[in-house]
Amino acid sequence: MAAEQFAMIDPAGYKAIGAGIAVGLAGIATGIAEKDIGSAAVGAMAENESLFGKGLILTVIPETIVIFGLVVALIVGA
Amino acid sequence: MLEPKPMSRVLIVGHKNIMNDTVETLHNLNVYHIEDYNEEEPGLEIGKPFESAEDISKKLVKIRSLSNYLGVKGDESVSEDADKVWSNLDDRLNELDTKITEKTEEKSELESKLKDIENLKKDLQPLSNIPLDLDLYRGYENISVFTGTVKENMDSLETDISDITNLYEIWKDPDWNAIALFVYKDYAGQVSKILSDYSFKELRIPEKSGVPKDILSKSEEDKQSIEEKIESIDEEIESIKEQYSNFILASDELLSMEAEKAEAPLKMATSENTFVIDGWVPDDEYDTVVQSLDKATNGHAYVSIVEAEESDEHEEHSEEITPPTEYNNSKFAKPLETVMDLYSRPRFKELDPTSLIFIALPLFYGMMLGDVGYALVILAAAFGVKKYVNMESLKPVMNVLIYCQIFSFIFGILYGEAFGISLGTTHAGVPPWSPEPLYELFGATFESHGHGFLSGLIPGFETIYLFEFPFTNEMVSFPFHRPDAVLTLIVLTAVLGIIQINIGYVLGMVNVYRNHGLMDAILEKGSWIIIELGVLLAALGFLEYAPTTILGLAVFIIGFAMLFKGEGVKGAVELPSLLSNVLSYARIAAVGLSSIYIAYIVNEIAFVMLSPDTSILLAILSILVFIFGHALNTVLGVIAPGLQALRLQYVEFFTKFYDGGGKKYNPFGRIRKYTE
Repeated sequence: MAAEQFAMIDPAGYKAIGAGIAVGLAGIATGIAEKDIGSAAVGAMAENESLFGKGLILTVIPETIVIFGLVVALIVGA
Repeated sequence: MLEPKPMSRVLIVGHKNIMNDTVETLHNLNVYHIEDYNEEEPGLEIGKPFESAEDISKKLVKIRSLSNYLGVKGDESVSEDADKVWSNLDDRLNELDTKITEKTEEKSELESKLKDIENLKKDLQPLSNIPLDLDLYRGYENISVFTGTVKENMDSLETDISDITNLYEIWKDPDWNAIALFVYKDYAGQVSKILSDYSFKELRIPEKSGVPKDILSKSEEDKQSIEEKIESIDEEIESIKEQYSNFILASDELLSMEAEKAEAPLKMATSENTFVIDGWVPDDEYDTVVQSLDKATNGHAYVSIVEAEESDEHEEHSEEITPPTEYNNSKFAKPLETVMDLYSRPRFKELDPTSLIFIALPLFYGMMLGDVGYALVILAAAFGVKKYVNMESLKPVMNVLIYCQIFSFIFGILYGEAFGISLGTTHAGVPPWSPEPLYELFGATFESHGHGFLSGLIPGFETIYLFEFPFTNEMVSFPFHRPDAVLTLIVLTAVLGIIQINIGYVLGMVNVYRNHGLMDAILEKGSWIIIELGVLLAALGFLEYAPTTILGLAVFIIGFAMLFKGEGVKGAVELPSLLSNVLSYARIAAVGLSSIYIAYIVNEIAFVMLSPDTSILLAILSILVFIFGHALNTVLGVIAPGLQALRLQYVEFFTKFYDGGGKKYNPFGRIRKYTE
């Protein structure tokens, strides 16, 4: 009975779920990492506006994490 | 191109009686970057400002406070004759000052009157329904008057008072809970006790006569007329502003210039009879400086170039006299200097990568957005902002955006996309969106393209398959449909990343070589290239393209050892960043895909509701979805690819070679804006 149900699911569905998990978790991780850096960067900018460039860079550094997730998702999906 | 402008340290020495002429000449030339003198040495002290400085700064403060008060804004069309403005500056400034002072005094007087009326209103409002003349509230010998508000029930108050005496009279206003109570004075003590039980709060009776209601209605009239007067004064001030704004802009500029000149000696070293100015001049301007100074001072100023000390030991010490950095880029690359300044200006001895990101930034942006439609919309918007928004700081940003759109347009043609709609034939169900449903709507017939292909926007534009891409086994076609060749795109972007990162390492070698010598350059930066070579050889061996696995590993270890020697543990820890940096360029593929999928879905939602029997309402809705959806995606198309392209330069590219922290070249002088 259980085996039959499994057989009915399209394998593409598993791929899609896998890709979704990859992007989703990586996105959450990026968000967690960026929120601390971002708030600190805004604080620093309030003190000294010329730190905008550095603040921007530091804030987007964890963005790579979600890109990794996205790459994995694309490879899984392809 | 990659170098900042060459500068020389130039010392100007002369007798104090030519100081004025020297300052005047340097200010006019606007090329000499004065290095502030701040070390006190015996016999040499910081100069004193010219005598005129105090007077000028007083006027400057006056004009700026007036300008601030009137809210005068910069206007590029203003161009006044400097001599004319200068000759009657004092008179006009005083005239303006008197006019404004007069008006503001008048205004503040009226405003204080207005405030008095407000206060009177507040006092009298609670009594407005009691028809007693204010004179009746005071001046009794045997009657005590209680005027005020109570919190609690007013009816029981009266019974409480009548328990004590009936020698009283009370007026009530239930709206405000106000009472006016007149009691024979012998009972005043007892009554006030009762009143305090009712939370009695006394009201002040203004020193006026008349019934409160009449006074209030009259003050309302007064208030209106005062407000009208204030309004007319505001109008007069506005007309004064219009009349004088050109004068304010021009004289502010002239006075600022004079103030700069008058305070110039503060940056110089002076002795009793001589002065010394230390500073930097771009090499190509040196002759002009010498000639102009000779002419202005009859050759009495002594100008000489100070040779830089070439020694590493003095590096710490000479930190204070590092030359300022002035970019030296072609006219086209100039807007990108804003991007550089946002990060940090290059130091004088450093390579200036502006020209490189002039290509890389728009290229990456274009690869991400890659849409003819969005490119044209953003291009038009950028030109519009440049034309109609009068902000100097926005212009370079808009120019960068325009460069980006040029690449975006080119890639839009390569990808065959306009607003996410396919230009050429495309698959069903994957972006870019095929406009075939629209053709059907208008009854157009089209030939079958076979294999599930749908028509594109340009009739007859068939997708051509060129070759199968190695490694990924995906077909490369023109136009290049990104969703069909995701892996190919990722590989291509990684290759792009490897190229840019290695350019970075080479530039890094040059920078380190200049500051610390060849050995350090090879160990610190060259080692990374050797490591990459090792990885490449090992990978080729591993994939059995060539028997180089062992060789590759050996090269890798040599490179790693060199890196360890050059950078220490820090280098070893950073090793994995090589992989993450290269993979980071995959964002070029990823951001582009997200944009095209959003566009696809907007098109799908907008046009799925259209059919030959669609009601007009639905058709309008469909158009709205199309416009708003694409407007949103256009805004995203500026922000997301823009920031990501910028980040690739800042994080992945610059970290390989760039330090920054250069001083801005800020020549003594001023570019005239409002005067001639």
